[in-house]
Formats: sequence, C-alpha cells, structure tokens
Amino acid sequence: MGRTFREMERTPREEGGSWKDRIPWNKYFLAGLVMTGLALALGILGLFWTPYSTTAMSASEKFDPPSLLHIFGTDNFGRDIFSRVMKGLGTTIGISGLVVLFSGSAGILLGALTGYFGGLADEIVMRVTDAVNGFPSILLTLVIISLLGSGRQNVIISLGIVFVPSYVRIVRSEYLKLRDADYIRRARLLGVKDVRILFVHILPNIFSVFWVSVMIGFNNAILAESGMSYLGIGVQPPEASLGNMLSDAQGYLQAAPWYALSVGLSIVWVVLGFSLFSEGIRRGKCE
Amino acid sequence: MIKIEDLSVAFGETEAVRHVNLDLVEGEILGVVGESGSGKSVTALTLMGLAADTARVTTGRILFDGVTLREAGSPCDKRLYRSYQGARMSMVFQEPMTSLNPTQRAGRQVEETLRLHTGLAAAERKEKVLEAFRAVGLREPEKVYASYPHQLSGGMRQRVMIAMAVILEPELIVADEPTTALDVTIQNQIIELLRKINETQKNAMLFITHDLNLARRLCHRVAVMKDGRVVEQGPVEEIFRNPKEEYTRRLIEAVPSRMERRKDIREVFQEPVKGDFRNTKEEYTKRKVAVSGAEERTSQESAQSAAPVLEVRNLSVYYQDGNVSFLSGDRKNWQGERLSLRERLSGTKKEWVVSGADFEIYPGESLGLVGESGCGKTSLSKAILGMNCHIQGEIRHHSIRPQMIFQDPYSSLNPTKTIGWLLQEPLRAAGALDKSRAMTKGDMVAAAYDMLRKVGLEESYFSRRPSQLSGGQRQRVSIGQALITSPGFLVADEPVSALDVTIQAQIMELLQRLQQEMRLAYLFISHDINVVYRMCDRIMVMKEGRIIEIGETEEIFEHPREDYTKLLLRES
Repeated sequence: MGRTFREMERTPREEGGSWKDRIPWNKYFLAGLVMTGLALALGILGLFWTPYSTTAMSASEKFDPPSLLHIFGTDNFGRDIFSRVMKGLGTTIGISGLVVLFSGSAGILLGALTGYFGGLADEIVMRVTDAVNGFPSILLTLVIISLLGSGRQNVIISLGIVFVPSYVRIVRSEYLKLRDADYIRRARLLGVKDVRILFVHILPNIFSVFWVSVMIGFNNAILAESGMSYLGIGVQPPEASLGNMLSDAQGYLQAAPWYALSVGLSIVWVVLGFSLFSEGIRRGKCE
Repeated sequence: MIKIEDLSVAFGETEAVRHVNLDLVEGEILGVVGESGSGKSVTALTLMGLAADTARVTTGRILFDGVTLREAGSPCDKRLYRSYQGARMSMVFQEPMTSLNPTQRAGRQVEETLRLHTGLAAAERKEKVLEAFRAVGLREPEKVYASYPHQLSGGMRQRVMIAMAVILEPELIVADEPTTALDVTIQNQIIELLRKINETQKNAMLFITHDLNLARRLCHRVAVMKDGRVVEQGPVEEIFRNPKEEYTRRLIEAVPSRMERRKDIREVFQEPVKGDFRNTKEEYTKRKVAVSGAEERTSQESAQSAAPVLEVRNLSVYYQDGNVSFLSGDRKNWQGERLSLRERLSGTKKEWVVSGADFEIYPGESLGLVGESGCGKTSLSKAILGMNCHIQGEIRHHSIRPQMIFQDPYSSLNPTKTIGWLLQEPLRAAGALDKSRAMTKGDMVAAAYDMLRKVGLEESYFSRRPSQLSGGQRQRVSIGQALITSPGFLVADEPVSALDVTIQAQIMELLQRLQQEMRLAYLFISHDINVVYRMCDRIMVMKEGRIIEIGETEEIFEHPREDYTKLLLRES
C-alpha cells in the first residue's frame, strides 16, 4: 500500500469543487476574517468619512479620556483619536498592500526568470539580492528615503525594493524545483512556449507557497511602515498614520496613556488578525 | 506466536481493514499480497503500533506471544509497544531513500537501536554494527558505517535498513514492500538475504508485497487481501496451483508471463508510411528529405518494410561534471584522456553516460530498452527527445514532436489543471507553433473528449483534476496527452512500473491497442524483462552506457549472446 501513502502525501487536499467548498472554515480563519475584516472596513470607511475631522484641533478637548463621544479619547491637539486611527489604518493598509503588490510582482517576475532559465542572469540577480539582504532592512530604507525624500510614495518604493529579494528567493526556488518536474518536461516536449510554461504551467503551482509569503510580507510591511513613520521617515504629519501617531503618543504616556494604547493595539489588531487569517488558510479545511 | 484475531481498522468512517485473521509461527514467512488500498500496509502498521493516531481498531485484537498488544476500543499503548519495537519486532520499509535519516551517518543510525535496547559499551556497539553489516552482505562495513545515506546506493541502503531491523534478532520482522523500489538484480539479492536471515535467526516474517511472484519465491504461506479482507490464505504453492478465489486467479494472471507473447504488429502494417505532415515548414522539409532518403535505403534493405521513424547513429551522451578544480591537471576523464585546458578552465569535465548507440525504430514497432538503473537508459531517451543537448553523433527523427510517457503518474500531470485542459494543451501548443495546425476551441474540446474515450476514461473526467484520479487513470491521461497530436513515435519510460499488477496489464493492453490503431512506434524502457517481453518486437540490452545486444525479442530470449543478458533473463 506504499503507493497509496504516496498518494495521500501528494494530495493534501481534494481539489476541485467550487470555491465555496474550498473556504477553510476553521477557527483561525474565522477569527482572522473578523479581525481583518473590521480593520479593513474601518480603514476604507476612514478614507471617505470619519466621525470627526482628523485635523480639526480643539484646545478645550485636549487629552479627553475615552468616552462615548471620543471612544479612543483625544490627543494633545484635541483631535479625535478614533477618527485618526481610522485614517491611519487606511494609510497603513493601503501602503502595505501596494508594497506587497509591487515587491510580489517583481519577485514573481525575477524569480521565475532566474529560477527557470538559470545562467548568468540568475547569478547576477542572486548576488544583487544577496547584497540587498546583507544590509539591515531599516538601514537600506533609510538610505533610499534619504535619496528620494520622505512621503507616502517614497515609502512604498523603498519598502518595495527592500522586500523584493525575499520573494525572488521563494519564487526562484520553486521554479528551480518545478522546472524539472515531469509535467513541465512534457510541456517542453510539446513545444509549449517558455513564457506560457512560466506563467500558465508553473505559476499556479507555486501559489500556495507564494501566498504564505505574501501574507507574511503584508504583516512585515505593516510593521515596517509603522516603524518608518514612527521614526519620522515615513508618512509625514499632519497626515495620519499608525506609526507617526504612536510616535506622538510616546510623549504623553503619562498624561494620556489611552493615546499610545489605542494606536498600539490597533497595530496589534491588524497584524494578529492577518496572521490568524493566513494561518487559517494554511491549515486548510482539515482542522 | 503472532495472532491477529478478527482485526478491523477504520480511519474515520472508512474501514481500511475488515475482520482480518492472520497467524504466524516462529521461523515462518507469511506473505501478505494485495494491490494498493487492499489494507495490507495498514494491517502491518497496526501490528507494529505505527499506524497513524487517526486509525482506530474497531474489532478484534493483536496477540504477541500471548500478550495482547492492541484490542478493539482501546487506543494504542505506546509504552507497551516501545518495549516490543526494535527489540522483539522490527520493520523494513519500502523506500530506502526516506527511511534513513539523511543527516546522520548510516552506522550511527543502526547503533541507535543498540543504544536504546542494550547496555553495550560504545566499542562493543560499533563492533556489533559492523558484524551486522557484514551479515547483510555489505562488503565494506567500515566505509558504510561512516557514510551518509545519500552516499549509498538503493540496494546498500536497503541492506542497512535490514541490518537495523535484524541486529537485535527480533522474533518478528515486518517487511513492507522491501524490494519494490529496487532493480531486479538487487531485488533478488535482497530476497535471498531475507531468506538467509530467516533461516539463521528463525524469526517470523511478515512479507508485504503486491508482487505475487516475489511472494512465491520467499514465503511459506500467503494471504491474499482485497478491500481490507483476507480473501484467501494458504501454503504458497497451493494458492498458485489452484487459486480458489476469482481475484487471486486474476492477480496470478496479471503478472506478465512469458507465455503470452503479443502478436507481431509489424505483420499488420506492411504498407509504407504516410506521415502526418502537419508541422512547421522546416520540420516538414527536413522530414520530407529524411523520409525520401530513408526510402532509398530501405529499398535495399528488403527486410524492413518501411522507413524508420527514428535513426540513431553513433550517439554518445555526456553530462558536464562541475566538480573539476583548475589544479586537477592530472585527473583523467572517462576515456582515460587527460583533462583539456578548456575543461580545467571551465571547471567542468564531460562525464560520458552513453557511448556509441546505434539503432533505428520503424513505424508500428516497439523497441524495448532494458538494463539496470544507472546504465544510461534514461539519458539515452532524453537525448533522443532533445532534452539533453550534450551529445555527439546523430539523431534523425522522421516523426513530428515525439512524445514521452513518464514513469511516475503522480508527477507527470500538472496538479493545478483539469484533465480537459491538459488534453487540449498539446493542441494549443501545436497551434501556437504553426498557425496551419491551429484549431478552434470547439475542435480542441471535441478532440479532448475523443481522446478521453480512446484511452478508456469516461467523459466526466474532463473537468476533474489529477488529484482525483488513481495512478492507472492518471497514466491513461498521460498517454492521451502524449498521443493527442498524433506524434507517431513515443518514448515510454517505465510506463507501468509504478502501477499495480492488474492496472499494469490494463495499461499495457491500452498501449498495444493504441499502437495498432494509430500505428505508433514505441521506445519502451523497462527494467522488467517480462513486461518488455510482452510489449516489444525487438529488444536492446544496455550496460554501462553501451548497447551490448540488440535483436528480435524471441531471439534474445532464446539465444542470448551476452553473459549480462543471460544474467538479466535469469534474474527475472
């Protein structure tokens, strides 16, 4: 029955059926879905509407503790923290999403080409990614930011560049593995063109692996963006971002602990929710 | 000594083993024979206490020397089992590749058993391991002791596994398909070894296999399993002489035997080739020239009725070995020549794996290629298909885009696509290469359905994915994919060796039927002499990269010229 074991090994889950049947309804997935969904909804809503203006200051409402009017309280300028968190969520998630989109597609393209064809181009790209990996990522982003200047767009570019190597590595190793798979050999024998082999035959097979790294990458991007804004090299005030709010809040830990707490917990909420969500997908239906 | 009484094992709702009764006395070898999914491995794993935690024993019990090891309803008693595993019962697994830890030296892994179960000192342990290595026929025990698994061949690894299993002289050895992953010649040595161990140590052995012939050679008694039940049980010769169950008879018949020689297909097709010329322009002219040239030649060779689909002339295949340092000037290459400056500069040297191959294949013919693994069979076939460009010599194709059927049906189909998509892809590719061959979507779908029918699958498979298919069904899809562009010539690399015997027979039948219908030429690679005998018109024997003998199947079987051929024939 050795063969049936192998069969079980190679078919971790039944494929087919409509996408509805494939949703992994486990507790990780559910919790993650709820948490991410809420954060996402607030973030998107925050782009169009917030309970209070995010920039309107009010001296009389300075450092109001959480109440029914201001559920996260107010900050040092009397601005509603909840509104600003909504806005910040939108900024942070948006930036992270674009970073992942940029670095992920670049990673797929470079990884696919280098992994499948190998040769000199592979050697060069890999050495460059090694070099990029050699720097601490925060240092590298600092360098890029100092060249380009701060601001939303440049944060996306610099983080995107820093994140590319990790995707290249993963995608490349998958392509390297699959390029010698029997079904790819057969495709070559049939005369299928290389571009088609790369993106129609192989790409769907690496999605499960790639998806996991996208999830991790998204979380890292959120943390990195917050970190950069916290350090003042990311999104600039008065624009709200979770990072620069946290940086502001740091000064008033004694006077308004709710400020730091609500912003910090929001970051935790998003990252944790997304981790649970991806964990749920990774575990699949069986648990 | 071992008693399995009324054992049923279930995974969730599905019962894998149903009311199985087996018993084993000291010094006896019991064969458990069945196809994949028959429950034979689950029975063995449950007996060993190694079944997955999700496996529940629903009825019956397992007795070892009067002690109840496992009973219905109670979970697996890991503690109790641990005192038996290794010391009193041990197991040899199928895959010698994966059953040894790749990060530890072979000697250490065997020693581990001794460390766990005996109080021997380090030096004594090592001595004992070396002794065991010698006993299982490993020629350089010291060297094996210090080797990592990947440095050992499949046969050697399996010997190490066996050494590990027998070192404590357990009363029971369970061998789960111990030879399936090995070459024929190695297979025989392992079977002999198991027999010898059984004779000297007098332990009971449970030998699990899907190959009735193997069971016949080793076992005293056999139990035939099907769908989780033992359908027949008895002394091995009796089962062979008068099988009571229909299923047993089918299993015995399915083993390819030399008695049933296939009809010579070349007699059916005597008219010359009319090729399918739908192809790119260059290939078209190339082929046309080649065909006309070949026709002239064949008119002189009256023995062959048609132009060959493939001519291989003095073909040598090499690999670039990348481990040459620039300073290794005194190293000699494969042919005993000094390494050239170029080889030293580029850090690579040529490792020749096939040399001087010379043969041709005619339409409608099956040419068998036999030899041990590592003899260059696969390298040769890859070179023929253009998958390896490191060649010298000449390969002339007179067919369009020859295709290949791969050995492992689990890795030869893209798991993310549907069967219908897979069957249409060759047509799409052909259309993209040559506009004149482009087909409409509807035509392609129709062709795919047509091919499904041809390879004996129902239409409902069109929208399924490979993971929903069994090995045999996958191999059918694989064949369909290779044939849908009507290539005329196919390389079949061990197309049935990964399948169950009854499935093997079906696939071979299918290949033969398609050969007749579509007038295909096969290069049929196999290590199984019986399969080759059944499938092929001519046979080519390969040894260490050279074709040492080539001739008509009957001729080779009845009057083999080379000693090596004789050895191959005797071993199977």
